[in-house]
Amino acid sequence: MTNSISEIEGAGCIFVIGSNTTACHPLIARRIFRAKENGAKLIVADPRRIQLSRFADIAVNHRLGSDVALLNGMMHIIIKNNWQANDYIQQRTEGYDDFGKTVEAYTPEKVKDITGIEPRDLEKMAELYATHPPASLLYAMGITQHTTGVDNVKSCCNLALLCGNVGIPSAGVNPLRGQNNVQGACDMGGLPNVLPGYQPISDQDVIKIFSKAWGKSIPSQVGLTITDMIPAILEGRLKALYVIGENPKLSDPDWNHLHHALKELDFLMVQELFLSETAQVADVVFAAASVAEKDGTFTNSERRCMRINKAVEPIGDALQDWDIICRLSTAMGYKMAYDTPEDIFNEITALTPKSYGGMTYERLGINGLQWPCPELDHPGTPYLHKDRFPRPSGKAQFHAIGYRDPAEIPNHEYPYFLTTGRMFAHFHTGTMTRITPKLDAEQRTGYVDIHPNDAAALEIEDGDMTVISSKRGEMEAPARITDSVSPGTLFLPIHFGENPTNVLTNSKAFDPLAKIPEFKVSTVNIKKFS
Amino acid sequence: MNHMVKMWLEQGKVDVFLGYKRVDGHPLPHVFSKDNLADVDELITGPARYPLEKIAAAIISEKPDIKIGLLARDCGQRTLNVLHVWNQLNTDSISVLNVPCCPSNLKEHADCSYLEPEKRGPDKQIHGFDNNMSIDDVESYKPKERFERWMYEFQKCIKCYGCRNICPVCFCKECSLEHHDLIEAKDLPPEVPIFHLVRAVHMAGRCIDCGLCEDACPADIPLRLLYRKVNQVVKDVFDYETGTSTHQPPFSVLGEKVTLELKPLKTVSMDL
Amino acid sequence: MDYKFIPSVCSYCGTGCGVLFQVMDGKLMGTMPLKTHPVNEGKLCIKGWNLHEHVNSGNRLKHPLVRMNGHFRPATWEKAIEFASNRLKEIIGKYGPDSVGVLVSAKITNEENYLAQKFARACIGTNNVDHCARL
Repeated sequence: MTNSISEIEGAGCIFVIGSNTTACHPLIARRIFRAKENGAKLIVADPRRIQLSRFADIAVNHRLGSDVALLNGMMHIIIKNNWQANDYIQQRTEGYDDFGKTVEAYTPEKVKDITGIEPRDLEKMAELYATHPPASLLYAMGITQHTTGVDNVKSCCNLALLCGNVGIPSAGVNPLRGQNNVQGACDMGGLPNVLPGYQPISDQDVIKIFSKAWGKSIPSQVGLTITDMIPAILEGRLKALYVIGENPKLSDPDWNHLHHALKELDFLMVQELFLSETAQVADVVFAAASVAEKDGTFTNSERRCMRINKAVEPIGDALQDWDIICRLSTAMGYKMAYDTPEDIFNEITALTPKSYGGMTYERLGINGLQWPCPELDHPGTPYLHKDRFPRPSGKAQFHAIGYRDPAEIPNHEYPYFLTTGRMFAHFHTGTMTRITPKLDAEQRTGYVDIHPNDAAALEIEDGDMTVISSKRGEMEAPARITDSVSPGTLFLPIHFGENPTNVLTNSKAFDPLAKIPEFKVSTVNIKKFS
Repeated sequence: MNHMVKMWLEQGKVDVFLGYKRVDGHPLPHVFSKDNLADVDELITGPARYPLEKIAAAIISEKPDIKIGLLARDCGQRTLNVLHVWNQLNTDSISVLNVPCCPSNLKEHADCSYLEPEKRGPDKQIHGFDNNMSIDDVESYKPKERFERWMYEFQKCIKCYGCRNICPVCFCKECSLEHHDLIEAKDLPPEVPIFHLVRAVHMAGRCIDCGLCEDACPADIPLRLLYRKVNQVVKDVFDYETGTSTHQPPFSVLGEKVTLELKPLKTVSMDL
Repeated sequence: MDYKFIPSVCSYCGTGCGVLFQVMDGKLMGTMPLKTHPVNEGKLCIKGWNLHEHVNSGNRLKHPLVRMNGHFRPATWEKAIEFASNRLKEIIGKYGPDSVGVLVSAKITNEENYLAQKFARACIGTNNVDHCARL
């Protein structure tokens, strides 16, 4: 997030696209409700009719995967009406001309053909966003899990820049992070191309600094992403995998494909709380401590680094993850010895001077600190890019982005769109929530959401078992008839291992740059189970 | 006060004392005991409000012989009374240190609660209720409008169950809110308005108007107002004063005896 | 009797709500919202309120497991670490460090993520490090 969670309350307009916020980020939804009640305008764009849609000044259900067209269409109208922030564009951005030319082609009529949104509705979205500053744009996986994920994100940025909404309070481009420490995992260099603090592997000076600090020379060739690892396994290039606290067998696209790949591995090592679907096929499973059983820090969506504190001893012989890694590394001949997570944190802050450099455990206290926090007396940064953007020119870049279709468009064999996501009581692959009685009670099984018209045409009644199939495979799920989905579109939650949604999704369709799979769009067929 | 608590702990009048202590600038609930007497110097009474009585009841259910002291404002006193009346807590094992109600300009229609009444946004006042409204103000709206305003508020619910979880007088092992025959388990919001009305009904003769539910509500639903109305009905119909009466409400359905004794003659308004 | 309230952060979504773990005699009894926390201001969602449940679950792994002849066997840490490090060393010796991949986690702490990527880069010698941000 460029801005802070609490700042949402001060927005003049909130544009939520591709985020079912009340179910997936409920305490951020709270801020949206409060902003709305303070008089902010609310725009909701989502393929489904979500709880937030009920409160929106304008809510649209655009066709799956048509986000770029929708955003370009809004910007087309903004420029037509001269609502853009001219001074801001001139002083703080570059690349506007090329971008403007691209957007010019996205007339409301053309956008209607792609997205299904009426020109009148699009006009209203554009007007509300552009004329009620500061405007805060919130998105989640509904924007990113596409073959055009990067294009979608860039289009969101274009819109915010066009109206001068980056670098001021209560505005910004705000991706809502789906996991407690996905921000921190990225910050800490849990990526194949960067070291901690987003310092690029390609920079020889960076390699030197880390090689010196770690007493070992660091490889300078960029590594494989998770999406590249699967073909690498199948081609015999990747032989061993160490999986920590993840359940890729359920969360990755095209389950059958991955299932096969994991079997091809010479060695699979999994570090987990539970015997997850992935752990079940491992060669070694390390029993790890849970959130309540360890010390350390998490960094949330708004870049706030906060301490977690050990409340109880780990269950059985389970060990804290850092302890397991130290033992393994030392056994492999590279000694890692720390007394406490605080020692590790101090090593991190020394190597990430620009972001975490000014943080100490004592300073974090309970409130934490938001990076960048470069000095010991720096108060942290509630919103980014106040005076300049982190580019050589100091200016933000507009990107000319054209619309591209998703990888799959319904045809006679697979006539339905399928989208996937979370429901309010469960989390991700369900390893933590399905064993929690109070959450399990809310939803015990998988299901498929289907529109009443489609259900009627297929003679499916509420609760009937259905078979859903795609090019990749098929699965069964009971039908839930609801008008929250549009006719021709199905929704499947991702939490239920016995109804593994990712049997259906497409592992070959991912964003070429970010390598994120297109979970939000695939095509399927559905029929009543007989 | 700190001296008193120390004395209680030293003399064994109580085994533990529930109060608050500041940690990294945050007032957090804290259990003081004989083993950490020095900590008592750091005992503070506010401004935090956590359900200390509920925590005490939970401790006693695990350790029936323990003697507990705790800080209690007016609402805390009423909580202990309700828990006692409903046989949930033997108050003999509880020693209370009274603390003044939070200074509040809401005092004319509330006994304590909000330290500073939060300003409610203009749009909430258009579509829903200002949480600081009085029942009379609410009833000045026509029934249809009142109904629509409640529906607006209930539609914001994200089904966190925070209102129930934090409630110092919610003690049932099985909760009707989780009964799928009563409330359909589906998407958000939970079935409108049944979810909140089921809870409201269960608050009749129990809610002690501490406001913790509303404090815990992510959607700012005016729950306190709703339960206050329910208790007003209880007062009007059954002449039962929740929180101060020393017997169970007349419409109690716990156990074998079911009584529904109406207060004699008076026209009452039962709508929300 | 020992009863403590431990401030911490919820480990479900990326919002980062402040929680208080309720601990009685070393046992995790419950989760409450931290009233004065800057992120959630004393409110939680249904998952946060039940955060302690997964910690106490009977399904938790209580010791390392090593697969022998197709079946998992419980092992001591010494045995499990030795087994894993031998296998890894063997594979690196035969196919080189880039034949190993490490998936770090969006669920573990910063400190642990840092060590996991340090392990991949400094100990194994590969940049094959990623996590599920994309999923």
